[in-house]
Amino acid sequence: MITILFTMIRREIQEHKLAFIYAPFIVALVLCLVIISVYLGLTDIQTTTFNFSTELYDEEFQEDMLQATPESKTAVIRAGLTVLGLPILLTVGFGLLAYSLSTFADERKDRSLIFWRSLPVSDLTTVMSKLIFVVIVIPLLVVPNLFLLQLISLLSVSVYFVTNDIVSFGYVWTSYLISDWFRIIFSLWAQALWSLPILLWLMLAGTYFKKPVIGAIVPLVALVVLEGIIFKANNIQEFIENRLGFWSRSDSFPIEYAEARVVDISDIYLLLTTQAFWIGILASVVLIAGIVYTRSTNNDYTVE
Amino acid sequence: MGNEIVIKANSVKKKYDDNFALDGIDLEVISGQILGFIGPNGAGKSTFLQSVLGLINTEGNLEVLGLDPRKDRHKLLKEVCYITDVAVLPKWMTVNQVLQYVDGVHPSFNLEKCLTILSRTNIKRSSKVRVLSRGMMVQLHLSIVMAIDAKLLVLDEPTLGLDLVYRKEFYSQLIEDYYDGDKTILISTHQVEEIEGVLSDAVFMNQGRVVLHDSIESINKKFLELRPNQDFIEKAKSLRPIHQRLELGREVLLFEDTEIDKLSNLGEVRPPFIADLFMAIMDKTKKEIEA
Repeated sequence: MITILFTMIRREIQEHKLAFIYAPFIVALVLCLVIISVYLGLTDIQTTTFNFSTELYDEEFQEDMLQATPESKTAVIRAGLTVLGLPILLTVGFGLLAYSLSTFADERKDRSLIFWRSLPVSDLTTVMSKLIFVVIVIPLLVVPNLFLLQLISLLSVSVYFVTNDIVSFGYVWTSYLISDWFRIIFSLWAQALWSLPILLWLMLAGTYFKKPVIGAIVPLVALVVLEGIIFKANNIQEFIENRLGFWSRSDSFPIEYAEARVVDISDIYLLLTTQAFWIGILASVVLIAGIVYTRSTNNDYTVE
Repeated sequence: MGNEIVIKANSVKKKYDDNFALDGIDLEVISGQILGFIGPNGAGKSTFLQSVLGLINTEGNLEVLGLDPRKDRHKLLKEVCYITDVAVLPKWMTVNQVLQYVDGVHPSFNLEKCLTILSRTNIKRSSKVRVLSRGMMVQLHLSIVMAIDAKLLVLDEPTLGLDLVYRKEFYSQLIEDYYDGDKTILISTHQVEEIEGVLSDAVFMNQGRVVLHDSIESINKKFLELRPNQDFIEKAKSLRPIHQRLELGREVLLFEDTEIDKLSNLGEVRPPFIADLFMAIMDKTKKEIEA
């Protein structure tokens, strides 16, 4: 069973390397180049809400840095690195939505479903392999890019600090926690589980509808409208919005969590104790059963 | 030849809307048989083969290698291989990736054997499936199937869209390199004449029913085709042929269960081609229904 799952996951990686290996790596490389360019003074990014330039590091800033506590240093570095990683996460997020919608639709469209189903692999095993790919493997494929970006960022800023006599080379490194790597991995796994009902809904649309994009959107819009008309409520819309957003900022968390902050391992524990999380898991189980049933019974290969 | 029952079907039915795609199929297939499913479009050939593979649910009793294909599909597929259409190999994969995948998921797949078979072709392992010609895809698919130690091989229109050379190669490779006397092969095709020499048994289907199921040996004994000399045409017709047709202006009469001695004096006698027999049986069935 392990060999079969390993083979199937390797197949997923081979098929979707563009979305989950090349695309995040290219985004990470571009970000690294931008960061290096900024610290070399070749460019800067200044908008009304965001300022990323070496102009920040004036004498006052230098004074603040020297007086900062280890905790505040760590918090600032964490927050900065989290913001820098957002473009990579958004790239993968869009890739995940596209993957979920197309993974079962494409095999119908090119009729390779007939080949896959000619081999001794149950539909449940196939669905589970895609689930493992989405929840566990994709986050693991993404994190090397985040770590690369973090290391390049810290290296660039350290070299800038030391060459401009702002602080010592080791200033940022002493506040950089290697344990954060695990925090990021667990956080991404939590995100995948949090968004799983949406991803599985898209997969179900791919197994059933002739036009999966329309099939995925129209029933949800209809449900949202009907709920609004009949019950004067918008629970479904909120559910969808919540699941598409970051888990740590969802409605199921205490209000103070809605502020911009870096999630911690303890937040994941908090997530596991929320009713919303388990409702999502329950919905996911129902959707998995639906996908297995539809994939095994739908002989209609016309997909547009 | 073995005598293990590979497929046992009793009153197998499949209904789509108001039409029966399978209307009570009773069939027993023994190991070692090469069984040809012959019938017009919509006869139910593909539906029956799909039900054998557990791809569709049917009513009635159906056992394949002692398993219920509806419940034990993935267990069954360890012993059963099928090619339904050659163009179903995933086109984004390289040949190597396809082989790696099958090797990883199929317990009876022999990678070395497959590579040996492939080495006799022009297929490169680094090529993407999408760049292969249709004929090469057949060779690749057949190489994979031939490297799987399966008890039952199901071929549903396997050579559809291929040119004559590849079709001939396909069947000769199948018989020379794959068939060992114990394996069972089910073939459904419209190109009956190309598989005629390959079959051990034939099943004629029409409107979801089996109208004839017999061994080729028995068919050749049971049915005889007579091209009577001009003088004996009326005498031949008096022996009650089941079908008659004109071929290049010459009468051809088909007889069932008629002694060869009675016919050989009247003209040229030979066993009918499967395609001609099929047409005759269809005609006969149609007339019986009308009557």
